[in-house]
Amino acid sequence: MKEMGKLHQLVIHVMGYDIAFNLEVIIMTWMVMAVLIFFGFAASKKRALLPEPVQALGELFVSLLYQLTVDALDEEMAKTYGPLTIALFMFLLLSNWFGIIPHLDEPTKDLNTPLSLGIMGFFIAHYAGIKAKGLGAYLKEYCTPIFFMAPLNVIGELAKVVSISFRLFGNIMGGAIIILVVSYLTYSIFLPPFLYFFFGFFVGTIQAFVFTMLTIVYISVQVK
Amino acid sequence: MEFEPQVIIKIAAYVGGGLCMGIGAVGAAIGEGYTAALANEAVSRNKDLSGDIFKSMLVGQAIAESASIFALVIAILLLFMDIPVPSLLKASALLGAGISMGFGAMGSGVGSGFPGGQACKGISRQPKMTGRLTTNMLIGSAVCQTPAIFALVVALILMFIDFGNVPLNPTWAALLGAGISMGLSAIGSGYGGGMAGGASCEGIARNPETVSSVTTIMLVGQAVTQTPCIFGLLVSFILMFKAFPETTALSPSMALLGAGISMGFGGLGPGIGNGMAAEGAVRWVARNVKHQSELMRTMLVGQAVSQSTAIYAMVISLVLIFVV
Repeated sequence: MKEMGKLHQLVIHVMGYDIAFNLEVIIMTWMVMAVLIFFGFAASKKRALLPEPVQALGELFVSLLYQLTVDALDEEMAKTYGPLTIALFMFLLLSNWFGIIPHLDEPTKDLNTPLSLGIMGFFIAHYAGIKAKGLGAYLKEYCTPIFFMAPLNVIGELAKVVSISFRLFGNIMGGAIIILVVSYLTYSIFLPPFLYFFFGFFVGTIQAFVFTMLTIVYISVQVK
Repeated sequence: MEFEPQVIIKIAAYVGGGLCMGIGAVGAAIGEGYTAALANEAVSRNKDLSGDIFKSMLVGQAIAESASIFALVIAILLLFMDIPVPSLLKASALLGAGISMGFGAMGSGVGSGFPGGQACKGISRQPKMTGRLTTNMLIGSAVCQTPAIFALVVALILMFIDFGNVPLNPTWAALLGAGISMGLSAIGSGYGGGMAGGASCEGIARNPETVSSVTTIMLVGQAVTQTPCIFGLLVSFILMFKAFPETTALSPSMALLGAGISMGFGGLGPGIGNGMAAEGAVRWVARNVKHQSELMRTMLVGQAVSQSTAIYAMVISLVLIFVV
């Protein structure tokens, strides 16, 4: 219980500022990326009309998520944003499942990962909105219903970043804390495997899906 | 009258444990009753399926119960936990933990009853969809439990983390405020999430072909419904982990307590309102799946407007924390 809340950090001093790197999170993120890149090569190496299991799995991800993007946006925009959706979902899914393996941690357990993905989604959505509507119409939306509501509308947009990233972070970190405390109280007998299954597989899958859906939905709200 | 820290810790733990279990028992009982009521209706419609409906009712009730089981766990821990270093700060943390989990279990308990009940009703209406309805009930109730899980996490952090050498005077109010902020703001989101989950089970039974659209809209709607309780979580994290300068005046402490109260009550209404918006969208997608994208857009815009009051509350509590 003592190690709760402790982090291995690499602190670099640059021009009077301390820049801290959370080493474990970076290593875990690289491992997730490595697994995904390997999976991508494995799925597309021997392409055949009758797919191998790995290729079938890859096709399943691509086709299902591409269809979801088409439903939320449209055929034309899905070509631009489909790859983003698919990559985001696969990354989050593997990240959330990663903690099930002993000695590994979920990269999403650290607020930095969800927050940076949330900020990325925020910029993409607003870029898409400006591109689709033009800058004038985009700025005008902030002045609805009356112009002096603009600051609150801006806060509302920023709150979306907070809510999307804290939702993922809270669920994954919450699961990890609950597993830690229950393992400590029950001396790791009987209960923890079920909790790993529930918080790792079940909640992890749902939250990865929710994060991805919300990213597309925020784009579609900006665009239309 | 002078109290030893040991005595005050015991007082806080007992009061916190009592509040936690007492309030935590309210929600789940109502939710389970709702499930049982709809199960009765379902059996009277289609008594050949009473076995399936009975099973589904019990599973639904078991999930609704989990919120109050969280409260039970926290209450038992509060009653029997050993505090190595008794201090007044820990006493207020324990009271905060009880408040957080007690109120936090209320909304999710009532809310998880809705998917369970509607799934029972759906089975009697559309027996072929039993498997799919059970899956949807499980997903809907699990997402609806998220506010209770957040409350549980805040309670566990308050109980187990050693806050170390921080000044007693404003920090005790911050820890109590953290519990209030999380507990109260979880009520609305838990209840609202359940409304969306219930509507999805009803929708699938009404129009089985719309399963995937209904599930997607339900998840998005529930996720946005959770936003007020995520604001509550944010405020309580800031209150717990920000270092406050020591003062002898009472006003900074009251500002921190006020920040928790503002966010807690401020998150209650928007959670329920967002849940109503999500319920409407899910229900009408099932009836008219062609208009899915328009319905989702209307739901999101409506939820954003309904959420603005939660944003006002968050702005006020951040001002109370950082400015006052």
